[in-house]
Amino acid sequence: MIAVLGLVVGVVAGLLVRPEVPAVVEPYLPIAVVAALDAVFGGLRAMLDGIFDDKVFVVSFLSNVVVAALIVFLGDKLGVGAQLSTGVVVVLGIRIFSNAAAIRRHVFRA
Amino acid sequence: MSDQNEQPENWLRRELPDEVPVPVPAPAPEPPRESVTGRQRLVKGLWPPRVTRAQLIVALLLFGLGFGLAVQVASNSDSDSALRGARQEDLVRILDELDSRTQRLQDEKQGLEKQRQELQSSSDQAAEARKQTAEKERQLGILAGTVAAQGPGITMTIEDTKGTVKADMLLDAIQELRAAGAEAIQVNGVRVVANSYFTDSGKSVSVDGNKINAPYRFKVIGKPQDLEPALNIPGGVVQSVEKEQATVTVEQTDKIVVDALRQPKRPDYARSSSQ
Repeated sequence: MIAVLGLVVGVVAGLLVRPEVPAVVEPYLPIAVVAALDAVFGGLRAMLDGIFDDKVFVVSFLSNVVVAALIVFLGDKLGVGAQLSTGVVVVLGIRIFSNAAAIRRHVFRA
Repeated sequence: MSDQNEQPENWLRRELPDEVPVPVPAPAPEPPRESVTGRQRLVKGLWPPRVTRAQLIVALLLFGLGFGLAVQVASNSDSDSALRGARQEDLVRILDELDSRTQRLQDEKQGLEKQRQELQSSSDQAAEARKQTAEKERQLGILAGTVAAQGPGITMTIEDTKGTVKADMLLDAIQELRAAGAEAIQVNGVRVVANSYFTDSGKSVSVDGNKINAPYRFKVIGKPQDLEPALNIPGGVVQSVEKEQATVTVEQTDKIVVDALRQPKRPDYARSSSQ
């Protein structure tokens, strides 16, 4: 419950504050958000499986974000930033979908 | 093993404990795993809000996620900052597209401007041609008698109280005036043009079928210094008319207005050959 409240408060704060995104972070923010979404879905699935562990969640969340940003950064340096970020989004999207399928099986038993 | 050694004779007691452990562990772990489904876990985690370390940490991370999500969505939906999130190569491509588009539009503008110039010059030419045509029409209209004319000239009045002046005398006067350079002539309100004719009708005279009576008043535009002597030459118009007991007065004027008009007549057969 607290976690859901945290998400809601975060969205509201982001909408209200509307901070200027620093130019350095700008290319990485969308990828980082997608990676974090992947971690959240993974955590939700783990919770439904009964194997949720907060330490694992924190580590996977942070490492997902950092690795995604790192891949994009590397891609930008190599000149394939657009393609690589597309690849990252595709992979994360697939993972999100499979996690969502598992969650769906738990929640709806279908 | 020590029990068995101490009581080796009790066979019944020895066999019982072997059978019990097998059925007991099997049913015991199974029911709890069946009862706690994922859905129940979800509900349990959601409803009684417990402030635990795990919940707080997850809440913190999710706060970060929601914040980033909202910021990204907001900055993406801002129309003015649509280019802010774009990568360098995208920006270069957009710039290239804009450049080529500008070039295309510039070319189009140039073509249209050229067209406009052409149209303008051609319309200028048409206006010039119209002006010249109108000028020519005015000049020809003076000859044809379709427009009024004014200028220096003379007025000649022939008083004919006895009715002795005939059409041929008037025609002689017209011929003499034309020979002296008369440009526009009217007699008693009838314009005299190239195909005018004079006929006698009783005591008076008809010009182009219009009957006119004495006194005959000629209004002539031309050079007065040429016209008057032409009329006054010995044996000329004035003398021959005065021989018939009519009186002629000629006066020079700076401004004669010849305002009798003729309808333009379209020739039945003759056509302009210039076109």
